[in-house]
Amino acid sequence: MEFSAIIGAWVAAFLTIGIFSYLYKDNPFYKAAEHLFVGVSAGYLLSLGFWTQLQPNLFGRLFPAKHYDPDTITYTIYNFLSFFSSSIFPEGGIDKGHDQHLIYLIPLALGVMMLLSLIPSFSWMARWGIAYVVGMAAGLKAYGYLNSNVLGQIKGTAVNLLDFSLPVFSLSSPSIFNNLIIFVGTICGLLYFYFSKEHKGLLGRASKIGIYFLMISFGASFGFAVMGRISLLIGRFTDLIKFSGSEYNYATFWVLFIIVGVLGYAAYREENSGVIAPVDNLGSSTEEE
Amino acid sequence: MNKIEDIFLKIGSVDRRWIFIVIAVVVIIPLLVPIGLPIRATDTSKSVYDAIEALPKGSNVLLSIEYSPSTKPENHPMTISIMRHLFRNDQKVYITCLWPDGQFMAQDALKQVAEGEFNKKYGEDYVLLGYRPGGEAVVKGIVSNIRKLFSVDAKQTKVDDIPMMDGITNFKDFDFLFSASAGYPGTIEWVQYAADPTGVPMSSGVTSIQVNEVMPYVQSGQMVGVLAGMPGAAEYESLINQKGSATSGMDAQSVAHLVIVLFIVLGNISYFIERKRSRKY
Repeated sequence: MEFSAIIGAWVAAFLTIGIFSYLYKDNPFYKAAEHLFVGVSAGYLLSLGFWTQLQPNLFGRLFPAKHYDPDTITYTIYNFLSFFSSSIFPEGGIDKGHDQHLIYLIPLALGVMMLLSLIPSFSWMARWGIAYVVGMAAGLKAYGYLNSNVLGQIKGTAVNLLDFSLPVFSLSSPSIFNNLIIFVGTICGLLYFYFSKEHKGLLGRASKIGIYFLMISFGASFGFAVMGRISLLIGRFTDLIKFSGSEYNYATFWVLFIIVGVLGYAAYREENSGVIAPVDNLGSSTEEE
Repeated sequence: MNKIEDIFLKIGSVDRRWIFIVIAVVVIIPLLVPIGLPIRATDTSKSVYDAIEALPKGSNVLLSIEYSPSTKPENHPMTISIMRHLFRNDQKVYITCLWPDGQFMAQDALKQVAEGEFNKKYGEDYVLLGYRPGGEAVVKGIVSNIRKLFSVDAKQTKVDDIPMMDGITNFKDFDFLFSASAGYPGTIEWVQYAADPTGVPMSSGVTSIQVNEVMPYVQSGQMVGVLAGMPGAAEYESLINQKGSATSGMDAQSVAHLVIVLFIVLGNISYFIERKRSRKY
């Protein structure tokens, strides 16, 4: 077993048990694991975003190696930038297979404008970048939703109730009974959200059936949510069981012993001091005494 | 009768930490001592299997990885099983990632399946195009011109130098799409911006939480089947006759569900007794 794998197992065991310790109560182990997760995630995302998108697709189109000519203004700027970071701006231009597209200066400018929100006197400029993103996203989403969620779903729920080639009843495959359920469920569910008329009489009864369909849907969602959480728990326990072996120097057992020991000692001191102190102030209870 | 009611009331007011311990115990025991409960494939999982099985040899399959280590127990077994099925049938696999961690998960799965089990050649049998930020904009980019978005792959090799990228310019050049998804951006974006507008068939493997969101697309025929959470992954493992981590987790899953149902029943009994008594006084 490689030393790095063993270290990785110890770190994973510590972070997993540290997060689980929140089930007892908020404590420094949990906080350490949480902060580490947020920091590492943000750093990883930033680094990957830069090296997979900004560097090859933005800078790679502004300063492609194909058109490298040190006498032009563009590449004079490039060589100046290259002086500061030769890994981002390597000598001779960026070779990612692009042609030069100076139109990409516009997204670069919009991106810089968004960063200007950090400077109060220029923060108004960030609105331009945000406006572009909002406008683009709204336009993109409108089409997708209309096509797939509205038209596609209307088509999907327009079932033939008189298709006698189908079996009368089937649990999961198409059947007359299932088609009837889709038809009634869709109509009644929609009627529940029709608020222009008081829900009385026939509309009231139909909307009540709609509520039952919605409740069944919420129940299914809850069931799936439970199943998902248990799956994740199984994943963590599987890893903890793996890390409890001798090849990992019993990482799980040691980490569990240390965390439970420290939290138990903190709880003992807290009880004896008679002061209800938050457990995240470990060691500070003496001062409070 | 009152004594029995008191017991139920006591159970109803038990410290939640005891419930955590019980759940932990019932999950750990089946992991250590497997029961081997039977796994039967549902129609939605079978549809995914049939769709991939029906692809002619050498088809171009786009596999999109949209999950992170946080949902690894659910999504990763699906990805591994789908890769095994595709490589066994000699399909060409193109991998993209809409999530940054997806690239790392894809590398892990490829190392295990493509290199370890099938000895496939990078650039000829499979390619990892990698992660690009932008969510649905990336999907739109792949649909219109994949080469504009992916000028280099995850190893920074120019796509023009990758043999299996010959003839691949946009989404219509793929014969099938499988999205292993844990949320946004993921399966829904692929349906909305790629599969629906182009008509290229797609399937998906999603986390349990997403199943209710994705199922309408399966029902309406916009997607060909779905692998639903860990059970879906276990079903696919049984369909390709190669058991993995999802199958071994299903015993614990089933036992834990039974215990949770028991807790819900006990909690409700306690609630109704409490309500009855409060009305009395």
